[in-house]
Amino acid sequence: MEVLNADGYRSDGRRQFELRSITIDLAQHGAADGTATIVHGLTKVFVSVLGPREAKLRSLTIHDRANVNVEVNVAAFSSGERRKRAKSDKRVLEMASAIKSTFETIIQTNLYPRSQIDIYIQIIEQDGGLLQACINGTTLALICAGIPLVDFACAVTCGVYANSPILDLTTLEENDIPNMTLAMLPKTGSVNLTAMESRLHVDRFGDLFEVALGAGRVIHEEMKLAILAKSRMLVAEMKTIGWGEKDLVD
Amino acid sequence: MRPPSPSIVEKEFLYNSLKESLRIDGREPLEMREPTLSFGPELGWVECSLGKTKVIAQIEAKIVRPPPERPLEGIITIHSEISPTASSEYEFGRTSEEEVTITRMLDKVLRRSDAIDKESLCILANQRVWHLRLTLHFLADAGNMLDCACLAGIVALKHFRRPEVEVIGDEITIYPPSERAPFPLAIHHSPYCFTFAFFSDATIPPVLDPSQLEQRLSAGVTSIALNAQKEICVFQKFGGVPLLPKDLLAIIDIAVAKAQGLHQIVENRLKEDWSSRTVEFR
Amino acid sequence: MISFSFFPLPPEPATIHESPQHSLHASHDMDIDLAHHFLHDSNLTLPGETLTSSHAYMRGHGTYVHNEEVIASVAGTIERVNKLVTVRALRARYNPEIGDLVVGRITEVQPRRWKVDANGRQDAVLMLSSVNLPGGVQRRKLESDELQMRNFFEEGDLLVAEVQAFFSDGAMSLHTRSLKYGKLRNGQLVSVSPALIRRLKSHFISLPCGVDLILGLNGYIWVSKHVKENEQEGEEGFDAEAVYSNQNDEIDMPTRSAISRVTNIIRVLASHFVPLSDTIILDAYEWAMEQDADVSEMLHQDNSFALISAVRGRK
Repeated sequence: MEVLNADGYRSDGRRQFELRSITIDLAQHGAADGTATIVHGLTKVFVSVLGPREAKLRSLTIHDRANVNVEVNVAAFSSGERRKRAKSDKRVLEMASAIKSTFETIIQTNLYPRSQIDIYIQIIEQDGGLLQACINGTTLALICAGIPLVDFACAVTCGVYANSPILDLTTLEENDIPNMTLAMLPKTGSVNLTAMESRLHVDRFGDLFEVALGAGRVIHEEMKLAILAKSRMLVAEMKTIGWGEKDLVD
Repeated sequence: MRPPSPSIVEKEFLYNSLKESLRIDGREPLEMREPTLSFGPELGWVECSLGKTKVIAQIEAKIVRPPPERPLEGIITIHSEISPTASSEYEFGRTSEEEVTITRMLDKVLRRSDAIDKESLCILANQRVWHLRLTLHFLADAGNMLDCACLAGIVALKHFRRPEVEVIGDEITIYPPSERAPFPLAIHHSPYCFTFAFFSDATIPPVLDPSQLEQRLSAGVTSIALNAQKEICVFQKFGGVPLLPKDLLAIIDIAVAKAQGLHQIVENRLKEDWSSRTVEFR
Repeated sequence: MISFSFFPLPPEPATIHESPQHSLHASHDMDIDLAHHFLHDSNLTLPGETLTSSHAYMRGHGTYVHNEEVIASVAGTIERVNKLVTVRALRARYNPEIGDLVVGRITEVQPRRWKVDANGRQDAVLMLSSVNLPGGVQRRKLESDELQMRNFFEEGDLLVAEVQAFFSDGAMSLHTRSLKYGKLRNGQLVSVSPALIRRLKSHFISLPCGVDLILGLNGYIWVSKHVKENEQEGEEGFDAEAVYSNQNDEIDMPTRSAISRVTNIIRVLASHFVPLSDTIILDAYEWAMEQDADVSEMLHQDNSFALISAVRGRK
């Protein structure tokens, strides 16, 4: 497959450094404390966050911080080929553990001793950048649940084609070229997660990092706008009836 | 049942000494424990130890019919289960988080990185291919089982030799080692895994090849698998302390240098072992 | 859509596409401006945003200090009291304070204590010594009381209580040592976001339609049949039978539909993030009666929008 054609276009008509369209829905669903649906192109992930709440098992309580529990479920219809993934699928377990350890350092868990924060991730559609969508969705859902975070975690997938970086890969591209998922904290510009599992020469890394960090900031802006729009709507709704601004700040 | 976490004094002692770039076992922060490789009488049987961490890797080869979707490729499977033999931390029959990490990492380092030429394992297209079965036994956990297992796995693959096979028409003849010299596997490159542990205190430098205590008290590890040709196969940092990109690039540079050193050690050990073996053939 | 101009674009320097969506140079700056506009406009902030220097201000809830800066850790409104900066999350779990009135559900019976789900970050604790025991308000706790704790409260019982104190890990301790508190009967529970319930003079509200409301500050609301004042207090001010009874009273049809109507009104208001107060609920109830809408149809989207706009109009 030709990843980048002679005119500089990719198979889905994008440019080399172009991200897929991002759609964020932060509507409240069910009994969850925070929910978010994030769409990166044709990848769609739904995340719901419950807690902090009483830990279900006494063995899971940690006396000085909250326990973060992540469960990932891949819908059988999410990929091109209908396939039911077992709960014990090592790939899924690994992804859950990667997300768990990413957010354990971002959530201020020490504020909630002996509690549990549950993050349930449902993968609805997948077309590349799965880990990226899961991390971005989880960040949004946690913010919606009012759980204190040190910063956003902004994840992006990037690959290398013909010695130059390419951003936000689809499944086709992911299968074809070496790629890496990176999660960054925009405040400090530091990297919280890297996941790369294909062969790539050391010299390519500098460029890759730079492009990925730049793209992470763009995704950060998108997520910020979504959260602000939602917050503004909630504030406006609270103000229209009942309390005025003065009461709100009481 | 997890063993009790390290006591507060142990923790403080470790942190304080690490701040002065001293490690409890006397190593430099970026010094690896010297790997000890011993080979068994069979080809493809390797015992690898890093300090007290010990892993045995063993390879078996069988001839099987290939799956229809990949008629031209041999099959490699990796079997590993961490039993309570290694440490009381692990339970029998229950997959711990660490086990998932190690199993997945072995799969990425040894299989997905295309270290072995799978097409060379094909004997007769659509009919017969070699099935390599790599079994890893975790004997003792004194920290950093991941690097030890990866090293044992790749050395076993390099050490292993499969019997010579001759194909005439549809007829396959397998020659026992006594008749014809067995054949080494076609290996494209040899990836080695390096694990660095980071601590939440920014003044503590990262340490390579963490011991069990260091691993438990660390705030996240980063694993890099790469070969002597400076190609990174896996670069994995799941959470833990956020690091600046320049620090990560510095870590990669260290791993590059270490990989070349380790490659040399492995090659020398293999050569030594091979020269001590008498291979009979007529 | 983003394009980096500082990277060579192989294979040929094609024209750089700029979409209105997200381009790193042009609209990136605009986004930031927009964000700042938001921030100044409505006093909102986000995790990771720097609020002020830590020299001049003290950090409060919803913030942390890093590199001598006070940084927000939740998305919400910034509040300043003298030197203290706090950020209040718009939606969050219930954050208890001593003296708060809460509605809860017993989840576990333990030695000398009950565990109560009160929508907090941990289950609350109700000590046996913090409840009124039968046979007089002031009575010593006996061993026999410990053995029959399930006769007072058992798993699944709902109760109204007050936050008495906190344990060292932040779990709240409740008490029901008042005639107003205790087991709940004759009604149903609605759960809303705790942000919608503010501290009022009284959280026990009697609506003229024969419905009593208990607005728990934790977001649990109890809607029940009206109980007359003098019935509530038995002889000698305390009737153990009545307080710990599991038997519902006789409730007639009009009261039942009134309870359901009030419940649905609260659900509709909460889904539109309207803060709850007795006047708003009463307004909405009157409007619903005028419309003569069927109770079951109130939750339909059209009807709920009509209700919200009607309530907004009345204000």
